[in-house]
Amino acid sequence: MSNARSMTTWLRLIALALVALVALACGGGGTATAPAQQQPAQQPAQQQPAQQAPAAKGPVEIRVAWWGSQDRHDRTIKAIELFMKKNPDIKVTYEFAVWDDYWTKMTTQAAGNSLPDVMQQDYAYIDEWFKRGLLAPLDDYVSSGAINLKDASEEFYKGGRVQGKLVAINLGSNSPSFGLDVDAFKKAGIAIPSDNWTWPEFEKIATDLHTKLGIWGFGHDLANDQMWKSIYFSAGEWAYTDDGKKIGYASDKILVDYLNMILRLQKAGVTPSRAEAQATYVGKPVEQLAIVTGKSAMDFFHSNQIIAVWKAAGENRNIKMVALPRQPGGKSANYIKPSQFFSVTSQSKQKEAAAKFIDFITNDVEANEILAAERGVPISSKVRDALKPKLGKAQVEMFDYVDRVAKDVQPIKPPDPAGHTDIVKNIWGPQVVDQVLFEKTTPEKAAALLRDEATKILAK
Amino acid sequence: MASAGRPAVSQAPVVGTGTIGQRRGFRHDNLTGYLFIAPWLIGFFAFTLIPMIASLYFSFTEYSVLSSPRWIGLDNFVRMFTQDARYWNSVRATFTYVFTAVPLRLIFALAVAMLLNTKHRGVSLYRAAYYAPSIVGGSVAVAVMWRQIFGTEGVVNAVTHVFGIPSVTWLGDPATAIWTLVTLAVWQFGSPMLIFLAGLKQIPQELYEAAAMDGATPWSRFTSITLPMLSPVIFFNLVMQIISGFMVFTQAFIVTGGAPLDTTLFYALYLYRRAFETFQMGYASAMAWVMLLVIAFFTAIVFKSSSYWVFYDNKEGE
Amino acid sequence: MSATTAPVSRYLPQRRKWMGSLLHHVIVAGLGFVMIYPLLWMFASSFKAPSEIWTNITSLVPQHFTLDNYANGWKGFGGITFTTFYINSFIYAFFGTLAAVTTSAVVAFGFSRIPFKGRAFWFTCMLMTLMLPAQVTIIPQYIVFSKLGLLNTFWPLILPRLGGQAFFIFLIMQFIRGIPHELDEAAEIDGCNKLSIFTRIMLPLISPALITSAIFSFYWTWEDFLSPVVYLNNPKLYTISLALRSFADPSATTDWGAVFAMSSLSLVPVFILFIAFQRYLVEGISTTGLKG
Repeated sequence: MSNARSMTTWLRLIALALVALVALACGGGGTATAPAQQQPAQQPAQQQPAQQAPAAKGPVEIRVAWWGSQDRHDRTIKAIELFMKKNPDIKVTYEFAVWDDYWTKMTTQAAGNSLPDVMQQDYAYIDEWFKRGLLAPLDDYVSSGAINLKDASEEFYKGGRVQGKLVAINLGSNSPSFGLDVDAFKKAGIAIPSDNWTWPEFEKIATDLHTKLGIWGFGHDLANDQMWKSIYFSAGEWAYTDDGKKIGYASDKILVDYLNMILRLQKAGVTPSRAEAQATYVGKPVEQLAIVTGKSAMDFFHSNQIIAVWKAAGENRNIKMVALPRQPGGKSANYIKPSQFFSVTSQSKQKEAAAKFIDFITNDVEANEILAAERGVPISSKVRDALKPKLGKAQVEMFDYVDRVAKDVQPIKPPDPAGHTDIVKNIWGPQVVDQVLFEKTTPEKAAALLRDEATKILAK
Repeated sequence: MASAGRPAVSQAPVVGTGTIGQRRGFRHDNLTGYLFIAPWLIGFFAFTLIPMIASLYFSFTEYSVLSSPRWIGLDNFVRMFTQDARYWNSVRATFTYVFTAVPLRLIFALAVAMLLNTKHRGVSLYRAAYYAPSIVGGSVAVAVMWRQIFGTEGVVNAVTHVFGIPSVTWLGDPATAIWTLVTLAVWQFGSPMLIFLAGLKQIPQELYEAAAMDGATPWSRFTSITLPMLSPVIFFNLVMQIISGFMVFTQAFIVTGGAPLDTTLFYALYLYRRAFETFQMGYASAMAWVMLLVIAFFTAIVFKSSSYWVFYDNKEGE
Repeated sequence: MSATTAPVSRYLPQRRKWMGSLLHHVIVAGLGFVMIYPLLWMFASSFKAPSEIWTNITSLVPQHFTLDNYANGWKGFGGITFTTFYINSFIYAFFGTLAAVTTSAVVAFGFSRIPFKGRAFWFTCMLMTLMLPAQVTIIPQYIVFSKLGLLNTFWPLILPRLGGQAFFIFLIMQFIRGIPHELDEAAEIDGCNKLSIFTRIMLPLISPALITSAIFSFYWTWEDFLSPVVYLNNPKLYTISLALRSFADPSATTDWGAVFAMSSLSLVPVFILFIAFQRYLVEGISTTGLKG
């Protein structure tokens, strides 16, 4: 038995144990000095300038976070580089992810008190995030002119208000739409409907398209929760009351009629069955919509998504967007929706610089040429005018559509209440539309259940 | 048991206890023991224990992550068991999966491992091919791929067409969706297969040679040598597949998202949704601890039963 | 030699042996094609032009063969290329695996060969850590690492593995328990202490288990995205799995060709590692001389 050898191994083991012990000891130390450590997470090398900032007038550092895909990451990074060039006193670090990962990341950072200075936000979340004290109101920056909204009409940014305070700046405007395959309509000899068409007209057109072309008249997705809001919106109501504490409509009849209609369309084969839709379309990439592969003549998507849809379908196709159908004799079912926002978080220590960055993204023409309206139609009219000559086919359609429907839209309703995601994910999807479309329950019962369960969630 | 197997080994495989019992007749060596497990103990106390205790605490609170937890006692558990229809859907889906995918996957993995434990030419290529589906992971490209394969115009329907079976919306039909995921899980049998291969490697060849000389049939060699000698590894795979079976997440997350009609809403998926989609971390933690108890129960049964069928090649119990 | 076919074939005529071998190949290769089909599909899609990825989705043959997807994909995001992501993934996978497998072997030896008070208790604790999903522990764990000031580094990914991982510890234990105690006792009589029994006798004997663990550990760290998502902020620290996910958001414009190209490439290191090591599982260091 070689003693020297076993000695070496012993030493290695002890070293290993020591390393682990040191890690443990550091853990205790870290907890004790926790308040000092509770700053936004930064690389050690980058931490210094940020800490010097308040004292000296050195460069400040801000963190920016967003969700999206490669295209958006590339454009946003380039815009950030331009910002740093124009503002050498501000250093911007950034982080990005896709939707699911982004919210996992942000939620965790919120819990760890390490949120970035500027975060991309969504209409479904700003209410909850603001009420939990995680977003900073921006009204002071707007009135001081740090964030210039003079070139934007109120209609385009009021979606960022919660409880009367502006907590998020719209990065691009959107409106829900039905995308139409113009060539399919021509082939079937059916006229393109106008923006004030109604649901009965829609049902007839979709059915005619199906019988004449043998493809689906409409692909996906009539069971979207956006439809639930829009059918009531057209009737002058909304899914929720303005304070978000109750269901906002008096009678279930509109919903019941609507559910009956989509059930009829499904049975007639005008739309894919719920089984087919869920397997292939619901929650899947916009590039996979049936209209792309020519399996349907119409599809539902938000206006900024037409760029992705058209790109996947091919440049030689013709796609047109029209507004959502209305209730017979009703108002417009559309509103101008912020596709996504930038917000300044309350955990930010550099709110001035963060506001400056948001102002840059909103108003700088050069930056918006890089961003190319990928997040939707920019809110500043100056930016829009500068971009118009440089647009591609799909972007032209997007600008046109938003311009067109903007003339007749109703004002946007307050952001979704905190329970909205819970209602949509746990009630609307699995317990209402699925049950109806798989014919496990009747529209009447489903609508009543939605009212009961949503009322319970909203009351919390 | 073929008598042929016995003479080859100096001591017969003896029934072990399966659990870690104290071996009689051996003096304790506490210092050395704790030194050896020290790395794990340190890691456990430093990084694992605190989060576990925290999640146990969260399970008795309403915790949106965005603001501080609020103590609500047993409310989460009461709601889970009595008011949440989807909770029971997720329990049903998970049990269906565990009781079908786990045994099928193990049988398949063992069969293929036996088939590939040879020196045929090109066998390493085959091994790589069979392992391939297990390394594709859970990226978005893979999600698109699986949906495509089981789609209406996918390759599975193309094959069934040949046999005159009409197209099925495999992933959309409540009757077939979960079986698609079970198929997918069986398809990805690579990790238990690899462990079986490593286990087969450990079986002394002399046992088979001796048995062959005694004229034992392949089947009796399998039941009297392979199975008992492999039983510690089978035991390991069974325990791990049960644990990971109850925690199955990725396939449903990337392929079906729980649809249709919650038939593929696996427990871990529902839990994740509650935690990060609707910000109900308290409820999710409560769900997690209930699952821990259920998994612990089944694992304990397997451990108890192991004394009847797991053989350790040592003197334990003498 | 094959355990199942070799001794039998000794008594069979040559032709039947040849037929059996052919049959074996047909079955194994046929099943092999089914197994590998998904990868072929993904690989084929990575050579398709953007306009045909969705419109020619079922075909295994691209209409317009292109390598653009690889060039576009490799560019990554805003100047941070896949070279960076590969390096990061290798750092994570290499150190993660090294840490996990070496300590797991040490701990497994302690649990399976050294009787000490509280052994069953700690073993149960260890198994329990496998039964709680990461989704409910990640936030408290994040807070621990945030207090240690280790966010946005690789430490939160590697440190927890330094204590060994329950899966590997249990796996290696099962292999150690299959090794006769006589060996230990003989060695002890020869004057070996526990440590030299472990390093000189056990380690060579359990090498199949160590190789299996290494393959798993490498793959699991390679594909892990939950920890990188949560702990890594700076895109220069992103791993392959995280970069791949960042490519494609279902609601935004996505370059799917690049997604398929980079997904295919990301499998290459895992595959090479598997092919390089798998032969040790069957032809590896022989234990037969020591057993029985």
